[in-house]
Amino acid sequence: MAKRTDNKVMTAAEAIDRFVFDGATVGIGGQTTGRVSMALAHEIVMQGKKDLTLSGCSMSISMDMMVGAGLVRRTEFGTGNVELFGATMRWRRAIEAGTLEIDDYSHLAMASRFLAGSLGLPFMPSKSMLGTDLLNKKSFDNGKPFEMIDNPWNPGEPVVLLPAATPDVSIIHAQQADEIGNVVIEGFSTHEPEMAKASKTVIVSCEELISPDEIRAHPDRTTIPYIYVDAVVEQPWGAYPTSCYRHYEHDGAHMRHYQACAREGGEPYDEYLQEYVYGPSTFDEYVEKAAGAERKKELHDSMMGLL
Amino acid sequence: MVVEASRYIADGDIVMVGTGLPMVAALLALKNHAPHMCYVVETGPIAPEVIPTPTSVSDARVMYRAVRHGSLVDALGGVLQRGLADVGFLGGAQIDQFANVNSTVIGDYENPKVRLPGSGGANDIASHSKKVLIIVRHEKRRFPEHCDFITSPGYIDGPEGRKKAGIPSAYPDIVVVTDMAVMSIDKGEGRLRVDKLMPGILLEQVLENTGFKPLVAEQVDGVDPPQGSELQILREEVDPEGVYLKSAE
Repeated sequence: MAKRTDNKVMTAAEAIDRFVFDGATVGIGGQTTGRVSMALAHEIVMQGKKDLTLSGCSMSISMDMMVGAGLVRRTEFGTGNVELFGATMRWRRAIEAGTLEIDDYSHLAMASRFLAGSLGLPFMPSKSMLGTDLLNKKSFDNGKPFEMIDNPWNPGEPVVLLPAATPDVSIIHAQQADEIGNVVIEGFSTHEPEMAKASKTVIVSCEELISPDEIRAHPDRTTIPYIYVDAVVEQPWGAYPTSCYRHYEHDGAHMRHYQACAREGGEPYDEYLQEYVYGPSTFDEYVEKAAGAERKKELHDSMMGLL
Repeated sequence: MVVEASRYIADGDIVMVGTGLPMVAALLALKNHAPHMCYVVETGPIAPEVIPTPTSVSDARVMYRAVRHGSLVDALGGVLQRGLADVGFLGGAQIDQFANVNSTVIGDYENPKVRLPGSGGANDIASHSKKVLIIVRHEKRRFPEHCDFITSPGYIDGPEGRKKAGIPSAYPDIVVVTDMAVMSIDKGEGRLRVDKLMPGILLEQVLENTGFKPLVAEQVDGVDPPQGSELQILREEVDPEGVYLKSAE
């Protein structure tokens, strides 16, 4: 898809249908309980895209849900983790059962791989992971997971070379975007700027659509310029139940509920997916069901008090 | 445990902080004796004025009035790998006699008994910090002779282990603070050594509850008990709702 100045606004359904294919490598945005692209993840699960490789740094509920729904062949990551809310349980169980391929890196290593991709480079040097089993284990990656070289300017100094990570499609939730795909991320940006620029296609959901003029009035705020972006989905609460800086806090109650179902697996987990993912006809409906107007106000007000 | 750990942070230190007890210790240091500490979060915030009590590295409380909101490359690359981190915190399921840490897998990597979260920023922190602080509960299974998997490097296998592997921070201080003792790396041997005991704990108890045989300092002191001021700051300012302190001391 050429990065023209077309109007790229579309529904999540259309964006996922057009840009996520079976067998794709999907770049996962967000970090643990912050600004995870949940609306886009729900849509991937609803459309049953399968045989996916998920690529990211700190992957949490969106990754766990796709694994739990049986859509994922492999994950490459720094961590699978929901911090205070515990481990990503469907992911953990799948690895323990031997049904999920994995590629462990450190966070800096994955970010370095995306950095290489974002600069059009085949690899990026790193000084992390030396001396550990992260460089010893068997990899499920198709190619070579890393290469060790001698620093050409300081022979005897080992340097790790990491292959560029270039997802087929990345899914990101941001605070603002305009119709041609300029993206403003507020607060932390974690691995997303590099991941987006390294990806072949990018789908962004946003809390609010702003005008191209607003973008051009503050070009220093643009995190990802439109030339990297293929689809824009206007979706307030699109990170729910994770947080979105300047908009709403994470909903601990709903996250605990997801985690309880994920820990159990089996029928309780299937029931969660049915009630909250497959059941609702829109993401808005899911948020109403899971949170409701009063809770949404609480989460919004709580965030406003932290700014 | 948290109070003792906070004492290893000096005023002006640049500190890489995650969540959980490390964050509580870092905040206590910030408010108690290290007001010029630069708190760095891997998601990107540099020097936030942290609002108690963040529950994650992506919590808005850990972004409040930062000097900059950056990216993971800025934090883990630009600060940590760049060599600017004075102190980094780690946790983990296993810590062996060389202070190697395992947060990847219990059992065999290809046939795991328990799959753990993975490195996250831990390997990066252990590789590049000038001083590594580890806060964990003291349990025998947590301290095996050798980790099932080395996620984050201690001294690997001896005093020159890091240097041989080419790890940039070749001879860091590594301090393990538990609810029973303080163990530090003896740089001559590259192995952990019991330095201090927590109040009311005997050396025998520590040795019984450690899976490997640690070195023991010639003079094993008691940890200075928490000052009233430290406890007050902890309970009133750092973690007033006991989000983390409930599960600690």
